[in-house]
Amino acid sequence: MAVTKRIEKIKDYYVNTKPHISYERAWSWTKSFRRTEGQPHLIRTAQAFYDTCCELSVNIWEGELIVGTSGEYRKCAILTPEFGWLWINDEIDTFPERGQDPYDVTPEQTKFIRENIFPYWKGRSVEEAFLARTSEATKKIGVDTGFLDTDSKWRNGIGEISADYVDVLLPKGYGGIRAEAEAYMAVLDETIPEQKAKIVFYKSMVLIADGMITLGRRYSEKAAEMAAAETDPVRKKELEEIADVCSRIPEQPPKSFREAVQFVWFVQLGGIIAENPLAWNPGRFDQYMYPYYKADEEAGDIDYDTALELVECLWLKYSEWAWTISKNTASFFAGYTNFENLTIGGTKVDGSDATNTISYMAIQATKECMTHQPTLSCRIHPDCPPEFMEAVTELVSTGCGFPAIHGDRTGYQMLSNLGYKPEDARDWNNCGCVVPHSRKTFEWTSAASISFAAALEFALNQGRSRLSGEQVSLEEKDPKTFSSMEEIIEAWKKQFRYLVRHGVISLVTAQEIHKEIGHRPFMSACNEYCMKNGRDLVDGGAKYNIGPVFTGVGLSVTANSLAVIKKLVFEDGVTTMAEIIDAIDNNWEGYEQLRELALACPKYGNDDDYVDSIARDLADFFYEEVTKYDDLYGNHFVTAFMGISNYLPTGKVLGATPEGRHAKDPINEGVSPYTGSDKSTCLAALRSAAKMNHDIHSGGTLLNLRLNHDLVATKRGRANLGAMLQSYFALGGFHVQFNTISNEVLADAQANPDKYRSLLVRVAGYSAQFTNLSKEMQDSIMARNAHEAF
Amino acid sequence: MQIQPFSVNDGNGIRTNIFMAGCPLRCKWCSNPEGFEQKERIGWYKKQCIGCGACAAVCPQGIGIDMISDSGNCIACGACADVCPEEARRQMVSVMDADDVIREVHRHRLFYSYSGGGVTFSGGEATSQPELLDCLSRELYDAGYSLDIESCGYFDFERVRPSLERMDLIFMDLKHMDPDVHKEYTGVSNGLILENIAKLGTLPQSPDVVIRIPVIGGVNNSEENIASSAAYVHDVLPSAKMELLPYHRLGMVKYDALGLPFGQDGFYTPDKEEMKKLRSIAAAQGVTITDFR
Repeated sequence: MAVTKRIEKIKDYYVNTKPHISYERAWSWTKSFRRTEGQPHLIRTAQAFYDTCCELSVNIWEGELIVGTSGEYRKCAILTPEFGWLWINDEIDTFPERGQDPYDVTPEQTKFIRENIFPYWKGRSVEEAFLARTSEATKKIGVDTGFLDTDSKWRNGIGEISADYVDVLLPKGYGGIRAEAEAYMAVLDETIPEQKAKIVFYKSMVLIADGMITLGRRYSEKAAEMAAAETDPVRKKELEEIADVCSRIPEQPPKSFREAVQFVWFVQLGGIIAENPLAWNPGRFDQYMYPYYKADEEAGDIDYDTALELVECLWLKYSEWAWTISKNTASFFAGYTNFENLTIGGTKVDGSDATNTISYMAIQATKECMTHQPTLSCRIHPDCPPEFMEAVTELVSTGCGFPAIHGDRTGYQMLSNLGYKPEDARDWNNCGCVVPHSRKTFEWTSAASISFAAALEFALNQGRSRLSGEQVSLEEKDPKTFSSMEEIIEAWKKQFRYLVRHGVISLVTAQEIHKEIGHRPFMSACNEYCMKNGRDLVDGGAKYNIGPVFTGVGLSVTANSLAVIKKLVFEDGVTTMAEIIDAIDNNWEGYEQLRELALACPKYGNDDDYVDSIARDLADFFYEEVTKYDDLYGNHFVTAFMGISNYLPTGKVLGATPEGRHAKDPINEGVSPYTGSDKSTCLAALRSAAKMNHDIHSGGTLLNLRLNHDLVATKRGRANLGAMLQSYFALGGFHVQFNTISNEVLADAQANPDKYRSLLVRVAGYSAQFTNLSKEMQDSIMARNAHEAF
Repeated sequence: MQIQPFSVNDGNGIRTNIFMAGCPLRCKWCSNPEGFEQKERIGWYKKQCIGCGACAAVCPQGIGIDMISDSGNCIACGACADVCPEEARRQMVSVMDADDVIREVHRHRLFYSYSGGGVTFSGGEATSQPELLDCLSRELYDAGYSLDIESCGYFDFERVRPSLERMDLIFMDLKHMDPDVHKEYTGVSNGLILENIAKLGTLPQSPDVVIRIPVIGGVNNSEENIASSAAYVHDVLPSAKMELLPYHRLGMVKYDALGLPFGQDGFYTPDKEEMKKLRSIAAAQGVTITDFR
């Protein structure tokens, strides 16, 4: 079935419209905070949410069946100055024209924001608190450096959370949540300090519930009003249905599939208004939606196509909201990607296969809408039904990069290693890009980006940046005097430890600040144990509190570089440390022959133990070092190799590297081979990646590969791809995703963007519209090696 | 059709064997008499029967416990097999649609992967339902499975060609080189079979081919017949291997269950020494002898 006209029209609008900045939410928030000075911060946040729900523009756009927008524009980007506004103030004038992720904003809006909103937040934002409390040494290595970055945890809302639709939201509705909070409150005694604090928490729950209920009612009223004025009988009936649905949703638990879809979107919208969050995950959509579909279908109230259209409406809603991020952050998360990760497939808690009609419907919706959201992820267990594997690989063959494919067992093991109970570990969903996660959890899943290659640069340049010459890290001896591999590895470890230390300091500082002024009543209302414990997420209310995640970048560049030094200097003796250092100091100019020798050395991604074992040792060291430290809540920090698109900005700040890379060239993401260096087969690349101990890196691991489209053009080819995936997972791998679009098509899209507005491609851990990526990002995708054969 | 989900002697690894009912030959030593015709069959295994009468109680045709005397009335509805507490009544051939077969094959895919196995089409006669074979082999080929086929060799080659082109391994029988003897013991002459063996060489994917001789003591176990069979194979299809399998009587119980006369008293099973000798005679003609046991 082709998509309906309705979906076609909404989709056209989505691919052809630039997101528009709306300050409505920020303005309501600011006014509310002015009124609540002196109140507990938690109450102030909940009150601001409630006030915003009362004031925000209510619009129902053309053709919509699922309603709710975070501002006065259909494709809307909102502001959260309470987290950070300095960067917005610096950059807002360049929003409409900047290369990566531009937003429309009028000069009048900019003026209003500067005059009415920012002044209130001056000195009050999380960002300013962080900068005020952070030492010069930490700033030098860990603020906007590309060596170590933590700013997504102190410039933006946290996000990185999965709504609990199963135990909280769907069965209770916000009316139920409100009643529960009232009931808890009724038996608390305000004279007991601990209980007094809980009363504050439950009051915040009531405010959140009232805000959500108000939002639903306002949409109901708006729809009724529009229905009355509507002359087209078909649309009139649709609006009346919207009015009806929103008169109950989200106050009451949904009773039909349609109500459930609207409910899910209202929850998503609430989270957006509350935090404008990164990685606000719908979780295991097929699991919690299927019962509604099944009941409706059995009752004859819905058919597959009707349900599919509703799901497609939801997909477009996920995509119309644009995350508002700085130019720097946009270079890490290019393509308006907000990581609303929706998981399908896998096993149920009882271990049986979990796929159902909605799993297939989700795949079809992504295929037909080609929206960059939701970030569609699937779990593949060893006995995955061939039909599901075929649906998954068929979607891969379209080239859109969805779904991200994960090994069920490895995800389970990653959570088990963090101390999850089996029943929760089995129920894992994806968070953000490739993070195994749970709806019972509070965790900063993408807290620090740490560069293995930066540590190598410091080790081989006496603690200085090769590009700027500045002393940013620990001093080290003259690299030309290193006399053994052991000495070099030890130097790398010393520099890497220093990066980890400053990451830990930064993140604990950020945690302290969030505990003071980063309360999350909306997200706490979506979390079963916050309600049970009477504590906000930032006060450790969740069932599982997991330490912040460090994500390593540049693993393969570093391993390849160490392999070159080991082979050329210490084994073959064809060059010296002095010559290698001179070569990279000169960005290989005048050392072309040496560079050829370096390029010919073993490279990670070709199933060669010579270099793969170095990569594994580095990755294991990363785990040992990071997990030594505990966070503010007493939980050890966690490692990951997820990568996102940070391989570009983290490469730009580095000089040349010994494996042949030029200065400022990208490094690599996740456990992926360095761009174009996986010259053997696809199987060899997978085997190299599988040599890493994925299960210990509980924050997730990411592998990007490119396949020639011909390989997956036939059903048998796709079945082989499925077998390859299962083999990777059997070897212990966690995640892999594919680009399958040829360079000819991509080059044509670069030259004729208008022809390709809806072309989705894999970036790293997520997909984005190719034409929404900067030229350098496009080039970096085209430079990945395309495997011609399995 | 019947499905045997753990077959280890008809190709590499662990395989699912799909028996297609119906066979153009009537070999006198056949061990699968239920596969003669394309119709559903119920068998009665007397030794297991405890005479409880559950079968008779549910039979819509009013057939008693001893169904053999009444088998002409049996419609193979399977009601008796469903209720029999001892599995003395068994559905020996049933109608399955392609989807059921494919689902059944998928169930064991992990075992195929780890063992290097797959699916083998067998019989009865694997080519007796060419359209169904085409449909199943296409679906299973697309799903990426390794496919083998076992055939008596008596079929219209061009009609079966698309299916044969999907096979990794083809087993074909050569029961006797003498056309008259062949006709006497199997009901058909061997001309078409010999022709088809040669035509296997025209398949574009160059599958592995194994020509099998079921060595029936007293029928085709003469040194001369084995030598001329091997010489023929080596001549028309030099890449083919051969497998010599000794006659066995494991099918006797099935004849009994179906109430068919077991007329195989004149055949004997060649002993190990004789088999060894015959294999060496075949090998002397230049063919490679193989063994899937």
